[in-house]
Amino acid sequence: MKKNHIGKIEYNKEIAKDTYKLVISSDVKEIKAGQFISIYCENKTLRRPFSVADFKDGDITVLYKLKGDGTHYIKNLNENDKIDFLAPLGNTFNFENVNSALLIGAGIGIAPMLFLKKELDKNGIKNHLISGFKDALEVVEGSNQVVIGGSVLDEIENAVEKIKPDIIYSCGPSIVLKLVSEFGIKNNIKTQIAMEKVMACGIGVCRGCIIELKNGKNASVCKDGPVFLGDAVQW
Amino acid sequence: MVDLSVNLNGFKLQNPIMTASGTYGYADEYDDFIDVSKLGAIVTKAISIEPKKGNSGERLFETYGGMINRIGLENLGIEEFISKKLPILKEKNINYVMNLAGSTVEDYIKAAEIAQSAGIKAIEVNVSCPNVKQGCLEFGTNPNSLGHLTSEIRKIYKGFLIIKLTPNVSDIESLAKSAEDNGADCISAINTLKGLGVKVEITPDKKIKKTFVQGGLSGRCIKPVALSMVKRIKAVVNIPIIGIGGIANIEDILEFLTVGADAIQIGTENFCHPDITIKLINELTKIIESLNLESLDELKRKLRDE
Repeated sequence: MKKNHIGKIEYNKEIAKDTYKLVISSDVKEIKAGQFISIYCENKTLRRPFSVADFKDGDITVLYKLKGDGTHYIKNLNENDKIDFLAPLGNTFNFENVNSALLIGAGIGIAPMLFLKKELDKNGIKNHLISGFKDALEVVEGSNQVVIGGSVLDEIENAVEKIKPDIIYSCGPSIVLKLVSEFGIKNNIKTQIAMEKVMACGIGVCRGCIIELKNGKNASVCKDGPVFLGDAVQW
Repeated sequence: MVDLSVNLNGFKLQNPIMTASGTYGYADEYDDFIDVSKLGAIVTKAISIEPKKGNSGERLFETYGGMINRIGLENLGIEEFISKKLPILKEKNINYVMNLAGSTVEDYIKAAEIAQSAGIKAIEVNVSCPNVKQGCLEFGTNPNSLGHLTSEIRKIYKGFLIIKLTPNVSDIESLAKSAEDNGADCISAINTLKGLGVKVEITPDKKIKKTFVQGGLSGRCIKPVALSMVKRIKAVVNIPIIGIGGIANIEDILEFLTVGADAIQIGTENFCHPDITIKLINELTKIIESLNLESLDELKRKLRDE
């Protein structure tokens, strides 16, 4: 059940260029790959949503890129500081009946991919994670294959040939997700993508983070998503 | 035991804390965070005769002390509200007000008929919608069209009729008066202010990227406007007033009660603090106790007289 939690910061340091790792200890019972938390940032009207990069025994790991006021506020929080967040929010990646998976993370989109990779490993599902970064200083560890400067999309075909995935999972900028979805449709491979949008409530109420689906319906990224079937999204 | 109850011209609330339309869903959406039945009332998202998909493109823009939205009245339509959400409200004993939106007077009349036959006890009319038959000017910006709309709804709807005023006018007094003269039981104010969010970014390849979000401004930054409007409305009408606009803490509530609000609605703050309403009910109780008073009515008198 989603709740308002007050956690304690265990770790909050830069792990790559402008990229921070935040670990919060909390009383949260369960979070699954794909889900997110939304953090209260003092003096901001809206909370900030972050994909979860790992979860174990109440410890929630989040990776964030320094961008605006919200992330600068979080950056300045210290170990042992209290942190107010809503969790767990959104739906999860599904890996039922998956035997082999290709994971593609672009930029900070690597965060949920790392969590998903861990869950796939735990379930004995063969997987391969490609992640792309603008430059070498931004690389976050944990991928099987790193692309620097270029496009992660250039590597899809080779990887597909090599590992023959039943499904491609991806998170990153909208343009990457669109191309991954189109690749999946063209090559008859299922895709699940985790989307990002500016959010207000985080629980599906305000209808601020809406995307359109091919069936003509609206879906909220925060509640119906953030994970969608790539072929269901109207780009 | 402090008595927080409010009797708004016959519509009773167990306390003055309501939630504003568009920020609280239709029924029990906040049940994970609080017991929604403890609130004075929730006001549903604006409901139109037919379901609406709302606007495409970016719908939100955070500003200093607030936010701009252009949701475009996305909603499930009145039939689905009655078949799916009304049973939840009844089962969970949640006091509610149905917020109505339309594009023509006929839309509102039809919605009022449905509300009447469904036994809905209170409606709040969103008059910030463009009147498509009158050049898309908002119903709520002209006293004559607002008066006409109010009286047409009044003829059909026998329940508690709230008119929610827009602040995007120069003469709020004549609009409030027009609503009262044409049969409104209560006024709620204010709806969002018109605003434009602009973001100019310089991309790494030195191009200019612009984002515009034109919509309704809400949140803490609009409180002074709302307070001013409530005070001005209070000076000209005798019906109760529900204050709305940037309320986020107990001090804000005291300010609204002081200038004439009989109840208040919390809007944007719900997004950040989903349990804010319950906290404020508790704080209001404590304030009344600390003044050695017994009821909200006594607190209102004290705030206004001293």
